[in-house]
Amino acid sequence: MAKKIKVTPKAASKAPAKERRVIPRPPAPKATARIVRDKRETRIEDAPGSATDTPRGKYVYCVIQSADTLKFGAAGIGDNTSEIHTIHYRDLAAVVSDVPLGILDSTRENVLAHERVNEIVMRDHTVIPMSFGTIFKTKDDIVQLLRSAYDAFGDVLAKMRDKMEFGLKVLWDRDSVVKDIEDEDEGIHRLKNEIALQKGSTYFARMQYGRAIDAALQARSERYGTEILDRLRDVAVASRINKPIGDKMIMNAAFLVSRDQEGAFDSRVKSIAAEHDKLTFKYTGPWPPYNFVNIRLKLERV
Amino acid sequence: MAVERASGGSSLIDVLDRVLDKGIVIDAWVRVSLVGIDLITVEARVVVASIDTYLKYSEAVGQSVPVARPALESRPYAELAAENQALSAEIVTSKARRPRHASVQGYKLL
Repeated sequence: MAKKIKVTPKAASKAPAKERRVIPRPPAPKATARIVRDKRETRIEDAPGSATDTPRGKYVYCVIQSADTLKFGAAGIGDNTSEIHTIHYRDLAAVVSDVPLGILDSTRENVLAHERVNEIVMRDHTVIPMSFGTIFKTKDDIVQLLRSAYDAFGDVLAKMRDKMEFGLKVLWDRDSVVKDIEDEDEGIHRLKNEIALQKGSTYFARMQYGRAIDAALQARSERYGTEILDRLRDVAVASRINKPIGDKMIMNAAFLVSRDQEGAFDSRVKSIAAEHDKLTFKYTGPWPPYNFVNIRLKLERV
Repeated sequence: MAVERASGGSSLIDVLDRVLDKGIVIDAWVRVSLVGIDLITVEARVVVASIDTYLKYSEAVGQSVPVARPALESRPYAELAAENQALSAEIVTSKARRPRHASVQGYKLL
């Protein structure tokens, strides 16, 4: 599914400037007062309007459906104590908090804070998660974003309603699987013996052996993957297979699960894991539906 | 092997795996220019480039759509397989043709 939305630029482009809450230079006294209030922990209070004022932007965590103003506490990103709040356009809301305007490093602390806020919001709302590190200068920019992509966000929110993402990674102990293959596969078994007994160069035999082992590993991991997906098919709405990370991982999947199927999915994963004592399962969630929402926005200068 | 479910935020790798390039993504070059420069303003125009929600189970299961393939280019597996086959066949024929073609030019190819 692909959609293209073009938005006509706002006609009176200069008009909303006075409503902006973030001001680049230390200007009108009123604005300065606001900045000071947000940055309680700094020393700016001693010198209001000084050159050390950092302009503040709004960090966006996710988009939800809500016409009411909401607050989610102060456990947001960065060093600030600013409350996580919502910015609205019609029935859509962006969940944001104030941060210093600048590039945010993807440190452990910041990335986990992004995820933590999403998880808090997710308890009572369907979320479209924002990717990490998106900061807007002003409230108006976010309203503009919501307005421009209104149909798209609404569409995706409707599709994600009452669904959650779960992650499932499957790993194996490669060496012990190789041992099993050597025992079970007659051809490979013979090759191994040949190498052991052969005098002189075993180069060719070893090449052959390596290729045979690789093929057998590949086949086996595919068989596991297909089997596990088949078992989960009827308890999930959708699935997505990502690239495995490292050579121990044979499956890296995400599943979209209806809220009312959560229990069924959960017990299915556990029973699959119980049946495979040679595999290690890493099962995580619920997540915001990162793997099932892919909205790319391009901002153009008009 | 028994497995327990871990909550989302408990593994940094799993978080990074998701939050860096999934969900709503704003173009990278715009993100950089967010700092200080007057790019994201109300004058800016937002264009939704592509949306795909991977909702069709059949699409995702079994035929493993590659992670980074843009939505607009995703094609059914059968189609890709057919194209692959056609291209392989073409390689074979063009290989077979090559010596003849080369000899016309007066060269010898191995």
